[in-house]
Amino acid sequence: MTAEETPLELAERALGHAQGDAQVSVHRELSLVSRFARSTPTQATRVDDVGVRILSLHNGHTGAAETNDTSQDGLRAAARQAAEAARAAARLAGGRGEHPGLPAPATYRAHEGYDPATARLDAADAGGALREVFAAAAERDLEAFGIWTAGRVTTALASTAGIRAADDVTDAHLKVVARDPVTGRTGWGSGTGVGLSALDPAAIARRAAAKVTHQTPLELAPGAYTVVLEADAVGLLLEAIAPSAFGGPAHVEGRSPLAGRLGTRVAASSINLSDSPRFARTLPRAFDAEGVPKSPLPLIQDGVAHAVVHDSLSASRAGGGARSTGHALAPGGFGAGPAPTNLVLIGGGVADEAALCAPVERGLYVTRLWYLNMVHERSGLFTGTTRDGTFLIEDGRISRPVRDVRFTDSPLRILSATEALGAAQRLISEAEFYGPRFATGAVVPPLRAQGFAVTGQTLAPQA
Amino acid sequence: MPLDLLTELMARATGRATYAEARWVDTVTEDLRVRNGRVDELDRARATGLGVRVRVGGGWGFAATRDVTPAGAEAALTRALAIAEAQPVGAERPLAPLDTPARGHWASPCEQDPFAIGLDDKLGLLLAADAALRDDPRISVALSTLRARRIDKAFASTDGAACTQRIVQCGGGIQALAVDPTTGEAQGRSYPTSHGGLVAQAGWEHVLGLDLVGHAARVGSEAVELLTAPPCPETTTTLVLHPEQLALQIHESVGHALELDRILLGEASYAGESWVTQERLGGVRYGSEQLNITADATLPGGLGSFGWDDEGVAAARTPLIVAGALRGTLSNRESAAAVGLARSGGCARAEGFARQPIVRMTNVSIEPGDAGSLEDLIAATDRGLYLESNRSWSIDDHRLQFQFATEIAREIRDGELGRLYRNPVYAGVTPRFWGSLDAVGSASSWALWGLTNCGKGEPGQVMEVSHGAAPARFRDVQIRAAA
Repeated sequence: MTAEETPLELAERALGHAQGDAQVSVHRELSLVSRFARSTPTQATRVDDVGVRILSLHNGHTGAAETNDTSQDGLRAAARQAAEAARAAARLAGGRGEHPGLPAPATYRAHEGYDPATARLDAADAGGALREVFAAAAERDLEAFGIWTAGRVTTALASTAGIRAADDVTDAHLKVVARDPVTGRTGWGSGTGVGLSALDPAAIARRAAAKVTHQTPLELAPGAYTVVLEADAVGLLLEAIAPSAFGGPAHVEGRSPLAGRLGTRVAASSINLSDSPRFARTLPRAFDAEGVPKSPLPLIQDGVAHAVVHDSLSASRAGGGARSTGHALAPGGFGAGPAPTNLVLIGGGVADEAALCAPVERGLYVTRLWYLNMVHERSGLFTGTTRDGTFLIEDGRISRPVRDVRFTDSPLRILSATEALGAAQRLISEAEFYGPRFATGAVVPPLRAQGFAVTGQTLAPQA
Repeated sequence: MPLDLLTELMARATGRATYAEARWVDTVTEDLRVRNGRVDELDRARATGLGVRVRVGGGWGFAATRDVTPAGAEAALTRALAIAEAQPVGAERPLAPLDTPARGHWASPCEQDPFAIGLDDKLGLLLAADAALRDDPRISVALSTLRARRIDKAFASTDGAACTQRIVQCGGGIQALAVDPTTGEAQGRSYPTSHGGLVAQAGWEHVLGLDLVGHAARVGSEAVELLTAPPCPETTTTLVLHPEQLALQIHESVGHALELDRILLGEASYAGESWVTQERLGGVRYGSEQLNITADATLPGGLGSFGWDDEGVAAARTPLIVAGALRGTLSNRESAAAVGLARSGGCARAEGFARQPIVRMTNVSIEPGDAGSLEDLIAATDRGLYLESNRSWSIDDHRLQFQFATEIAREIRDGELGRLYRNPVYAGVTPRFWGSLDAVGSASSWALWGLTNCGKGEPGQVMEVSHGAAPARFRDVQIRAAA
């Protein structure tokens, strides 16, 4: 790609080398990441990269090749490899493959996912944010740990089916852990948005610092607890269960915890969960990895499971007239398959976290979760621990910190046992960028639920 | 490899930074997956570029480019300097010295280049395994996978390093998911590991040695058998772990816990801290006398092996735990200097050209014991459970309290394997669990187990590591029921 060539022009140039049916995807990333620990910068990374991915189809079989060599020779080699792969798949498997063919061109709606000021990616913005965070932590004699990151990602598609599309998005994130250097107690604050204006570094750092108390934490015995989950914890639970609960392939294969349960009650009647790429405060995109337009999809309505997400391949496998819902994460159905990327859980009528705690005689207050992993997919069971701000609720108020706990529970069960939802939603994102940058997040409120299954006690280093 | 370009860039960097390094990486990958008789994924990729890391005024800056020309390299250096200078000023900290600058070439062992094997041969193998996996109509999903990587690197630094390396990896695996349509129960089995197969620094000969086709029928039938197996009972009992599960146990509760950047709180906001605090580096008891753990980047075939790490430090073998006592950590030049070590442990590694090196595991292994084979270990156990093939893993942010699930458990009764159980889960606390280790299999039962999905860093980096492990026995372990 030359300085003058746009990602869409590069995609079209690459498509010129393709053999047979093909789709070219160009991913252009410009990003900055500044990490810090003990209120000192530790790593600063600037990424400027382009990836060109060519998907080739042959009699319903697919092959793909990717390169960051945008010379004519580089693109030609990738196109040849993709075509060879598709032909080999067809030759060895015999018969027609399962891929239904490339999606047709579509009209894409404009969105507000691009912020020109953020797209400038000025390293001075990072430096300024870090100074504010360090100062706010120092107000309470705490040390700050975390990252500031901003990125601009352009995705361009060109296909032999006629798609020509480009989408420009930006994202910005600040994550702060405030830590008492004497006790090791920590607190969490974070912010995410399309642009840097969504981040208030000092406020985020103060929110993290406010979680750090000087009281000795209580050890909580295993058992079932009424729990108030902050938005960060709710978002992580929903993103963890979504591919299995709402992914089309998991339903087709019979491993989803909601397999066979669409149209039935699976959550409290107050639960309305959707994938809504244009909802206020989300991180919007115009189209998915196959060029299918992004559009809202209700997943749970008034507690009843409503729909699952598909890409072209999973819809074809599902049969029964299923169509792509615009949730492909990779062309050709490669990788882990389709998944929601803009989860929205509608809030309720409770003012805030303090009001959610008010009816609780004795319960657990959770800021954030850590190391969630599936224990048993069919039952939707997950395990993980709490982190960076876990407290006991007594007589309707947060009374004291507790040591972090291990839980082993189903996010779907928690949604079934949800008693109340907070009114205010927040955009939650872990901002974990493995591979090409692809920012996602969930817009969720805090909630209160019954029976949170605490199965173990984490231990402080002194234990 | 453009080593001259890098050394010339480093000559220009001298005087503009207190330290600088440049790394060119060319990564070629191939991933194949067959699913239920169809080629589900056939994906090839190549990424080439260089990354430049600089130290200015106590801070680091890193920039990467795919423009591998003198102008492109100079632009990356300029961007790295600019981002370093934009950070709030930190204290100037030394780097651990190098014994000798990295010079020369290193290559991993590879008898048969996996990229020279035709697609027809590879897909033919996977399709044969797939057919054998699907012998029962209750198999809902059969997956067979192959993976190959070729990584060429050139490295130069202002400390005089100028070296090149070639690493070739390949491997594969099979999985079966069985579903009972009447009960809705779903159970999976895999071979030789549950995390994408067994990968090694080796050629195609490694894949042939796995005999995926020969194991496929057993894997499929065991998945079906699990559908009607009773749930694993909740108890506290003796546990015998298959080496694959022990490898992940080492990874999560020893390897990560002994990363020196984590111990120094450099990862506190993301990957977390360690129960091994800086004050405990003097020799805290980590486990029983049976526990001997070594980090060794010189092991042939290990995914954590290399000639030099990504700071130009020569590969090393470092005892971490000796007879249960902590003796060492995994370090890079910065963290080693911070705790007064004479030299880096040689554990700085980076994914591709667009990420900077951070402290990573190499090959962190338990040393063999004298308990013989797996069969010997079970024969020497009166009562307990034998667990195999990881299904789930989770550990707290101090690497203390963990919970693992495996695909399968078998009762041990009077020295013999008995009843099959499904959904076993065990939990523990790192030093107590390792303190309960009372037997480790002998060298004949010890092998390297590769993991290709170790995530760390921001932006995220996925790293390949290996763990040498033998079957091992632990006393009084908490077993939980799941599902």
